[in-house]
Amino acid sequence: MANQFDVVVIGAGPAGYVCAIRAAQLGLKTACIEKWSDDKGKALLGGTCLNVGCIPSKALLDSSHKFVEAQKDFDVHGIKHEGVEIDVPKMIARKNKIVKTLTTGVGGLFKANGVTLLEGAGKVLAAKQVELTRGDGSVEIIESANVVIATGSRPIDIPPAPVDGDLIVDSTGALEFQEVPARLGVIGAGVIGLELGSVWARLGSEVVVLEALDQFLAAADQQIAKESMKIIKKQGLDIRLGARVTGSEIKGKGKNKEVHVTYVDSDGKENSLIFDKLIVAVGRRPYTEALLAPDSGVNLDERGFIFVDDHCATDVPGVYAIGDVVRGPMLAHKGSEEGVMVAEIIAGQKAQMNYDLIPSVIYTHPEIAWVGKTEEEVKAEGGEYKVGTFPFAASGRALAANDKDGMVKVIADKVTDRILGVHVVGPSAAELVQQGVIAMEFAASSEDLALTIFSHPTLSEALHEAVLAVDGHAIHIANRKRR
Amino acid sequence: EEPILSPAARRMADEKGFSPADITGTGKGGRVTKEDVVRHAEQNPLVT
Repeated sequence: MANQFDVVVIGAGPAGYVCAIRAAQLGLKTACIEKWSDDKGKALLGGTCLNVGCIPSKALLDSSHKFVEAQKDFDVHGIKHEGVEIDVPKMIARKNKIVKTLTTGVGGLFKANGVTLLEGAGKVLAAKQVELTRGDGSVEIIESANVVIATGSRPIDIPPAPVDGDLIVDSTGALEFQEVPARLGVIGAGVIGLELGSVWARLGSEVVVLEALDQFLAAADQQIAKESMKIIKKQGLDIRLGARVTGSEIKGKGKNKEVHVTYVDSDGKENSLIFDKLIVAVGRRPYTEALLAPDSGVNLDERGFIFVDDHCATDVPGVYAIGDVVRGPMLAHKGSEEGVMVAEIIAGQKAQMNYDLIPSVIYTHPEIAWVGKTEEEVKAEGGEYKVGTFPFAASGRALAANDKDGMVKVIADKVTDRILGVHVVGPSAAELVQQGVIAMEFAASSEDLALTIFSHPTLSEALHEAVLAVDGHAIHIANRKRR
Repeated sequence: EEPILSPAARRMADEKGFSPADITGTGKGGRVTKEDVVRHAEQNPLVT
């Protein structure tokens, strides 16, 4: 039987839908399979990111930030008001509307590019055949010259706190609360835990975040992590490090139900806390349920990720895997870029991806973002390096904005002056780090950025001053004495 | 030592099968720009 498609993509999240669009742009006959559907049985495109991840969490972070600003920060500008209230169902409805706009938009892009949407569950068989099981139970075998697996990830469950969808929820449930929980527990002080904790803390929840590790944001530069911890704690998030959750129990009936959580702290002492809601945000795992036929030839690694090489090729020629289901950071932009790379490779191009420069962002306020190596990593590699920092407290733009917490940190190689890492906690951190990403893609030295003109007054100037500080030339702070 | 290539220069060199060390970089500090790779391709039309 002839191939029905040049490319069949399984999964319509940021990795899969971008791959399908790029493949179609390159003239490949492309289908995208998605099994997620709404209550009317219509396919939901956009995956975790659009439906229950990046976009909805940002919508709630922005709404809740405006609320907290109006409540706590307007007075400093001389703005008086009679008291501010939050209508939680309305806030959630706004979020849902944005999600609907964007997911519908992906469907429109599929149509515009000629991507065939196949609604149902895809299973990879041998010889690049894909078994499609539709919602009504009918099964069809699809032949394709190339298959791209983009099935994504799911929240990790932990036995001491099983999700019941009511009192104990995962990240999806935490985006749907219809009222502000008075006492909110969060297990996990990673990106998801900090963002969701921030949303509800701003609206009035008393939030305790329990983190098993002793180190806060272990993947971040530790100077930035410490600064971030200080700022976030000041905002009222009670972050407890070295707190290992050992059990949870739901007590009470009806409206009086509460969840009792026990945890062991770093001294080995047992503690207990009572919450109205508990969010389990300990991490995400690759999702490969019912995906691979036993003879598909596609292999998993020891952690359950689909095993791929640097070009996202699996062990079967013509079968690729991208996004959260393969190694690397579980980030939307990482998956999307892998999707572009794979589509271009299938089309015969020499595509590659730079895994060293994938930026990370945590959308707290202030934001935390970084790219490249942390000071700890550079130190561990043994190379000589220089560091420049600049606090937003010395930025005219930040002072005008009444948003002066945080700092920019730039690390450069001492010999070549090449920028190795840019780390920011502060206003518009992600945008400032992106400037660093662009510079680093062009292998810029700190001097290259120092010689570049930055508009005044802008937050970007904090990056300029930090690169100047690398060699002790910052204008707007006293430079550290050079050895 | 290998010169530093801009992202577009890196991809074009890869596509053309050029070794970065053979390309003369005119960018700051000898960096190889896409323009440098285009020029190199004009001067080395038989290399594939």
